[in-house]
Amino acid sequence: MKTSSKEVQDSVKKLFEDGRISHFIGYEAGSDSLRVTPCFLKSGQTVSRLVWNPLCANNLAKYLLDLRKVEGKVGILVKGCDSRSVVELLKENQIERDRVFIVGVPCSGIVDGEKLLAVLGISPGDVVAVEDGGDAFLVTTREGKRRVRKEQVLRGECLVCRYPTPVIYDVLLGEAIPSLPWVRDDYSLVRELEELSAEEKARYWNRELSQCIRCYACRNVCPVCNCPECIFDKKAPRWLSKANDISENLVYHLIRAFHVAGKCVDCGECERACPMGIPLRRLNKKVEKDLLELFGYTAGIDVEQQPPLTKYQVGDLDEFL
Amino acid sequence: MPDIKEVQTEFKPKILAFCCNWCAYAGADLAGVSRFQMPTNVRVIRVMCSGRVPPELVIRALANGLDGVMILGCHPGDCHYSEGNYLTRRRAHVLKRLLSYIGIEPERFQLRWVSAAEGAKFSAVVKEATDKITALGPNRWVDKK
Repeated sequence: MKTSSKEVQDSVKKLFEDGRISHFIGYEAGSDSLRVTPCFLKSGQTVSRLVWNPLCANNLAKYLLDLRKVEGKVGILVKGCDSRSVVELLKENQIERDRVFIVGVPCSGIVDGEKLLAVLGISPGDVVAVEDGGDAFLVTTREGKRRVRKEQVLRGECLVCRYPTPVIYDVLLGEAIPSLPWVRDDYSLVRELEELSAEEKARYWNRELSQCIRCYACRNVCPVCNCPECIFDKKAPRWLSKANDISENLVYHLIRAFHVAGKCVDCGECERACPMGIPLRRLNKKVEKDLLELFGYTAGIDVEQQPPLTKYQVGDLDEFL
Repeated sequence: MPDIKEVQTEFKPKILAFCCNWCAYAGADLAGVSRFQMPTNVRVIRVMCSGRVPPELVIRALANGLDGVMILGCHPGDCHYSEGNYLTRRRAHVLKRLLSYIGIEPERFQLRWVSAAEGAKFSAVVKEATDKITALGPNRWVDKK
């Protein structure tokens, strides 16, 4: 994370001054030192609020949808994963390319706050700042500076991230990062489960999904969950009852996994938003893996690429006969 | 009065079959008028195309406790609407894997091609599915705590 907050602030200020954007979506310091929060700017006066550090986890692409109707261009700060969400939004014609100004930042991993606290054995109040230091994070605590190896405290999706540099941008701050040294097996989480028996898989998922309180945070935070009326909110036909029941939870999570199939870019927001700690990425990753193996498709790379489930080939696999 | 437990010992699966109006539904009809013998576990729902059946319907049915769900459509290339069955085929590949991943045996969801002239195939498909799902036992995913 060679790019500094200062660089982001300066370039955004310039964009406002040149009249190229009317709004900007970035990050600002949050309620505690382990958190950043989305920040919405309407002028260059307040750019000093912007920050960029290894805590900037939020996928800001979702907010582009809220700013579709504003005058002028909307600027947005994107990491690699967020840029892929933007590609998916463009692909679905949810936003117009010439109405957004994409400021890309190469990202070398985001810190998982809980992992960090566990590794260091400290409480949230002890952390003063977290900085990127190449293969480690430099954590300033009340007691002094400490180095933590990245693999220990990275967010799950960053451990398997193939696109640290944004795939689409108008301006890129800092040098592109071609790949991350710790990324090896993209689908180890999925394979681990696939090898279990049906009985074991059912037990695992039953246990995990029974925790779901159906707050729909995972849906609400997801950039590609943007239907004007969600199937789960429909009253007629009612696909999902309000009952607190494992079968309803199963329906919810399976349908959701299917609805983001071919659009999910594994930004990890669903899992981060989940208050119950359900391993949602494990579900989405499975669909991602199948789409790659069956149709050679990876989401969020190319705006022109058609989603795999909206087209077909006569010679597709026909294993059912 | 018979003992309820005793009555329930023999497992008879409940299987749902979405049949395309233009092929499998007519195939079922042909199987009927041709008097082919087949198990009575399958409940048929007529749809206008196998492409009409979204994964949501299959998931809903399995979560509601049905033991199996089949989609029966036209052979590739024969779709009345040109491409409905091709799209269903793609979705079915993904759905089958997803169901298996979550712990629902993949045999509980089947996609088969049955034309209007294939009454015998319809009865064979129904028989095969019933046998497979009977062997698996009831769909008890929701109870697997």
